[in-house]
Amino acid sequence: MRDSYGAPSNHLPIPSSPPFSSPQAPPSTTIAIMSQFRAKKLDIGGYVNIRNIRDHTKRKVFAENEPERNALRYIIRNTTLPQRVRAQAQLELSKMHCYTRFTQVKNRCIMGGRGRGIFSDFRMGRFQFRLNALAGNLPGVKKASW
Amino acid sequence: MSVSRKRVFDLMKTQCAVFNTTYNPQRLRLGSRILHSRLKGAAIASYYPPRIGTIAQLRKLYPEDDIIDEKEEDWIEHLNVAQSRGKGNPKKKRTAAESKKFTKRR
Repeated sequence: MRDSYGAPSNHLPIPSSPPFSSPQAPPSTTIAIMSQFRAKKLDIGGYVNIRNIRDHTKRKVFAENEPERNALRYIIRNTTLPQRVRAQAQLELSKMHCYTRFTQVKNRCIMGGRGRGIFSDFRMGRFQFRLNALAGNLPGVKKASW
Repeated sequence: MSVSRKRVFDLMKTQCAVFNTTYNPQRLRLGSRILHSRLKGAAIASYYPPRIGTIAQLRKLYPEDDIIDEKEEDWIEHLNVAQSRGKGNPKKKRTAAESKKFTKRR
C-alpha cells in the first residue's frame, strides 16, 4: 500500500522562514497536488467515478497519517508540556496535508456514487438502497407492511 | 463517618491502576483522552469494496490455466481487421525529423 502513493513531504520539524535573497520575487506558494496520493491502479470495486476515487484516496491518506495526527493533537492538548512545544505542534498539525484530515472524508454511495442521502449502515444512497433491498441483495432488510 | 481525603485519593489511585487510566488528582488537561481512543483509520479506509476478480489477478492466481480476456480478444480482433483494411493507427514517430509532417507540406 505504501508504494502506491507518496507520503506528504514538507514536514519540517522546526518552522523555517524562507531566505530573503530575492526581495522582488513573489512569495513562494506551495501548490497542493492531490493526485500524488492516488493509487496508480484502480483499486476500488463497485461504482467508480472520480469523486469516489478521490474520497477513497482521502480515506487511505487519513488512515496512514492518523497516528502522527493523534500524536500532535496529544501534544497540543497536554497543558503540562511547555508552551513552545505545543505551539510547534500546532504549527506542524496545520502544515499537514488537508487529505490527512478526517473532515475531508465523506460517505458516498458505493453503488451510485451519490454524496447525499447515504445510509451509512449500507453505504448506499437512498434510492440504491431501495432498489437493492427490494431485489433482496441486502440480508435482513425487508419491506415493512402492516 | 466521613472518609479522609487521603483515603479517597488512594482509592482513585487503585482505580486508575486497575482500569489502566491516568492518575490525575489535580485534573490537569493531559490530553490522554486522545491517546486512549482507538484508531479508526483501518475502518475508514475499508469503506469502498476492493476491486477483486480482475483478469490480471486471476492470471496471477492461476498461472497454469489459460484465462481468456474476452474484451481484450475482441479489441485485438478489431485492431487486426482495421490494420488489414489500412485503417490502423499511424506508426509511432521516434525522431523529431519523422514527426515534422506539417512543416514539410508548406
